Amino acid sequence: MASNTSVVGKSLPMIDAYEKVTGKLRYAADLPPLHRMHHAKVLRSPFAHAKVVHIDTSAAEALPGVSAVITHLDNIIGTKKTCGQIWNDQSFNFQGPIISPEVCYVGDEVAAVSAVDEETAKEALALIEVEYEELPAIFDLEESMKPDAPAVHPWGPNRLDPSLFTWGDVEQGFSESDLIIENRITLGNQQHAPLDRNACIAAWERDSVSVWTSTQALFWIRDALTEFFELSPSKVRVYSTPTGGSFGLWWGNNFMILTVALARKAGRPVRLVLTRDEVQTTVKRRERPLIDAKIGIKKDGTMVAQRYQHVMDNGAYGNKFDPYQSVADIYPTPHGHVEFIGVATNLLPAGCMRGVGDLTLAYAIEQTVDMAAEKIGMDPLEFHLKNHWQTGDICHTSQEVVFAKLLFNREPEVRLSSSGLAECIRKGAEMIGWKEKWQGWGKPSSVQGNKVRGVGMGISTHISGLAFFGFNGITIKVNPDGTMALTTGIGRMGQAGDTTQAMVAAEVLGVELEDVNVIDGDTEVCGHTMVTFGSNGMHMVARATKAAAEDAKKQILEFAGRHLEASPEDLEIKDRRIFVKGSPDKGVGLGELMSTPIYDYLAPPEVIGRASEGVEFHRAGKMMIADFAEVEIDTRTAQMKVIKFVACHDSGTIVNPAVCENQVAGGYYQSMGLATTEHLVFDDETGAILNPNFLDYKIVGPLDMPDPDVYFEEVYDEDGPYGAKGIGEGVTCAVPIAISNAVYNAIGVRLDPPITPDKLMRALKNA
Amino acid sequence: MTVHTVQLRINGEVTTVDVKAHWSLAYVIREKVGLTGTKTGCEMGTCGSCTVLLDEKPIFSCLRMAVDAEGHEIQTIEGVEVENGGELHPLQKSFIELHGMQCGFCTPGMILAAKALLENNPDPSEQEVREAIGGHLCRCGTYVRIVRSILDAAQAVRAS
Amino acid sequence: MEYFSPDKLEEAYALLAKYGDDAIPIAGSTFFMSHREDLFDEVRAVINIKRLGLGYIEHADTGLRIGATTTLNEIFSAAVCRSGPFRVFSETVDELKINEVRNAATIGGEVCIAGEVDMPTTLLAFDANIVIGGAQGTRTASMADFHLGYLNNALKPGEMVIEVQVPQPRAVASAGFAKFERTAADLPIVNVTTRVALDADGTCSEARVAVGAATAAGIPKRSAQAEAALIGRVLDEQAIAAAAAASSDVECIDDFRASAELRSLWVKCGVEDALRRAAGQARAGE
Repeated sequence: MASNTSVVGKSLPMIDAYEKVTGKLRYAADLPPLHRMHHAKVLRSPFAHAKVVHIDTSAAEALPGVSAVITHLDNIIGTKKTCGQIWNDQSFNFQGPIISPEVCYVGDEVAAVSAVDEETAKEALALIEVEYEELPAIFDLEESMKPDAPAVHPWGPNRLDPSLFTWGDVEQGFSESDLIIENRITLGNQQHAPLDRNACIAAWERDSVSVWTSTQALFWIRDALTEFFELSPSKVRVYSTPTGGSFGLWWGNNFMILTVALARKAGRPVRLVLTRDEVQTTVKRRERPLIDAKIGIKKDGTMVAQRYQHVMDNGAYGNKFDPYQSVADIYPTPHGHVEFIGVATNLLPAGCMRGVGDLTLAYAIEQTVDMAAEKIGMDPLEFHLKNHWQTGDICHTSQEVVFAKLLFNREPEVRLSSSGLAECIRKGAEMIGWKEKWQGWGKPSSVQGNKVRGVGMGISTHISGLAFFGFNGITIKVNPDGTMALTTGIGRMGQAGDTTQAMVAAEVLGVELEDVNVIDGDTEVCGHTMVTFGSNGMHMVARATKAAAEDAKKQILEFAGRHLEASPEDLEIKDRRIFVKGSPDKGVGLGELMSTPIYDYLAPPEVIGRASEGVEFHRAGKMMIADFAEVEIDTRTAQMKVIKFVACHDSGTIVNPAVCENQVAGGYYQSMGLATTEHLVFDDETGAILNPNFLDYKIVGPLDMPDPDVYFEEVYDEDGPYGAKGIGEGVTCAVPIAISNAVYNAIGVRLDPPITPDKLMRALKNA
Repeated sequence: MTVHTVQLRINGEVTTVDVKAHWSLAYVIREKVGLTGTKTGCEMGTCGSCTVLLDEKPIFSCLRMAVDAEGHEIQTIEGVEVENGGELHPLQKSFIELHGMQCGFCTPGMILAAKALLENNPDPSEQEVREAIGGHLCRCGTYVRIVRSILDAAQAVRAS
Repeated sequence: MEYFSPDKLEEAYALLAKYGDDAIPIAGSTFFMSHREDLFDEVRAVINIKRLGLGYIEHADTGLRIGATTTLNEIFSAAVCRSGPFRVFSETVDELKINEVRNAATIGGEVCIAGEVDMPTTLLAFDANIVIGGAQGTRTASMADFHLGYLNNALKPGEMVIEVQVPQPRAVASAGFAKFERTAADLPIVNVTTRVALDADGTCSEARVAVGAATAAGIPKRSAQAEAALIGRVLDEQAIAAAAAASSDVECIDDFRASAELRSLWVKCGVEDALRRAAGQARAGE
């Protein structure tokens, strides 16, 4: 707990709240036009898999107002500087050239045009003649894994080599088990569906390029552009704008590189804004999982062995070989075997969406655990309390382990740094009324006429960042009046990252939040900042922010020592004032210090706090989640509604409670969508998406669900700034399984998301 | 295609714009008048981010033809402060204090819909608040605090 | 694409006649603008009909006359729709939880859309008539005849809807509306309007059970079987259950939004709910 702090722990308003309520905040599509700027549109493949046999852009190029047309014939291919190989990146969701002569999903880029306005650009697209030769397309994950399956794309096998984690001897573990429970799950196709639309502006000046885009991956884009266009970082300047949501959508994406290429060819700035349909059908979606789970337990409920095979639908380009998860360690068994297999299909590329592997694998594990508890007639609450992990337990399956092996051929030991999971489980059970409502296996918690109620629970964990995403370099400059400017590349997706970084700095420096300006999102001005994902902002980026503030503080105290003729060790800063400990009247205001000449220099001081910090990974700070749901199913109409939802989180010290409550509530609503209404539908024949926008891709609205009850168990994490861990993604991870387990309790059928009225109707009919 | 010259009265100010018939009011507000506080999340009336007040009634500006907007009083989010003489409206203050937003993209639409509600119904129930923003999506899932902010602002307006 | 905003009906008719199939009248423009990618290439003339004095709700002994450009919210708040035999009109609008659309969309527009809208279902249950105007004069079509198929209505080139007429129901009559959607702000997946007229002994002498949005025909349809099941009966739980079960004569579509089986279930539930609401209205003596 952050005791005795003056800024940290308060629900201070976001630093850009004024801009948001007045409409002044500029997202990328709001940026004012640059001089001579043109507008881009993209021609996209109507086929799921085809060769572009012939493409004729002459009529498009001749259309008045068109400044550039790009196709695969422009042959723009990036190469990785480190190894000279063709550029590909797990998170960019494409490989090889930016426009390929072989299109691999409906929506894949075929050509891009820049023109004086969007209407002319659209007209130009219609004038491009393309001859396609259709190739066999695969939409089914299991079909794609077969050895004789046609190739989804030309850059490697459909089925990637598994990422494998083993410990103990899982077969021995199963032989020692009294009961073995096997299970297979899949989930619907969820898509990020942020309200905002991706946009990018690129402008070249001789051999340098400036890019403005909505993103949370500022430095990643800078680095990708240096590789793609063979530029020094000194020739690439990327500015990130705040984004209207993200949930993983706003990293580096192909359309940004297209914009840069068009701007170069057109010799003028170019702006590309994706349409609503393009946002949901051409960037990425959540990886759809197909998970086989097998758990071995003793009669008394002790878990002995676990085996999971998590296959991920990577779509046409996604080449992830690991889904970013920690939850396979949440039950520390002596034996384990976990495999992750990325598989390609000729569908929209898949990539990280909020929660990632901790959502998908938690669903599988927690459903199987529920089944295991049922087999021995044990209350699932008891089963969870008996088996979950504790502080200090080994993280066998974390990404750090994968990358240490991959990059350095070493196998490190990573241990859990802190955990309030037990308290989250107990508190959640109490808040939902588990004791009263859980009536035992096979009994719903209540039946009133047509309405049947059930309760369910699920736990999960999630990383608070990953060390290998890089160092964080932060500066804090103190102004002559004691206000300050903090530079950071942290993403602004609604998680108030800039606000909470500034709160940490303000806490160290004894000033108010309003004293700290945040200069965010400029690769020339800001030090390298990790891509804002994996919930790394507070637990990892803020370590550097705190260190930079401490560095500034050290300088301030040194100058104050000269000003006050005292030793810096005897001084402290509080309430914008530096004073001698114990003698508060012997002091100087920060503003006065910064603007008064010091004898030794005959000039007022300048203070620039700086730190660049990597993160050591042998202790991992993971957030803990325990969710409890009570649902009611109307057996007449086959509709389900949520009666009560309790979300208990251990994210260490909660730096800004209102921000964190919003994150938890937000994760609940988003995952309720996954659990009940959201499903991107691919046409069986063509692979096209039938519900490309909000009309039929249904996200939850203000009238659809009750608000969740939120509880924070603040266990101080030694590695986290002021004891904080991350929060942003764990909020989604346990919601779907809590709902699914509650449905099982209510009607005795296990249904995988999306749990639609159609599925409920059929389940009720067959029950 | 014929270009129509229209006079649009937005936030009390008249702007003369040449518009093509198929242009939406949202497009013209953003791209021609330069007021980007009105958002165009979907351009088809399914998200609420483009809501403006037309003669004090909330409409989706993406579904309104710009050429059909002449002769009306249009208020965008930028106009709320203007109307208040540069002071934030109680709704804006409540949204700031109570964290009625995360990414902020839905916020202009939410505030305008709520403003219209409070002008007709100064003491709304929670259900009435939710129905007033029924067509507004918030993907960040800030409904809890959005509703709380609106109810809080309603109370502040009644108290003043 | 040309745009016109005539202030005389004759002028509007002349423009419609001139552009024929390539013209589209607009009022709320919600359908047109949300489908503009599909429609822009087909439409050569957009004719704004809001300046023709067609925004009104008049009530006489014969019934309601609603001008084509009356908005859904105007219907919602009209005194004649807030209580009494036409109360279900207000209730129908209230089930559309999108205020911005209610402020723009008009009854004329909803009538012209044969598909996923609510008002035509209620109009069908009230035996409404659609008044159509054109250069050749006016004609009237029943709501039932006005819809030919999904997104296809009986307007000929040069014609537009100018008024909707709802005959006054018999003295003791009550109605109810029910809707099923995926989320609260959605297209209707199923909607049902029921209207019954009760004799002095409380038995049903006239019944209408109209189902919209879900039908295989793509347009609102009456369930003859459900209506027959009500005639001569008191509107009690057994009668309601019988009518609901009998609504299986409505054939439903099957698509990724909902299966035909689910739609049929919701038709049945919708008939139950709408009848219960009608029964409630009857009990309340409205």
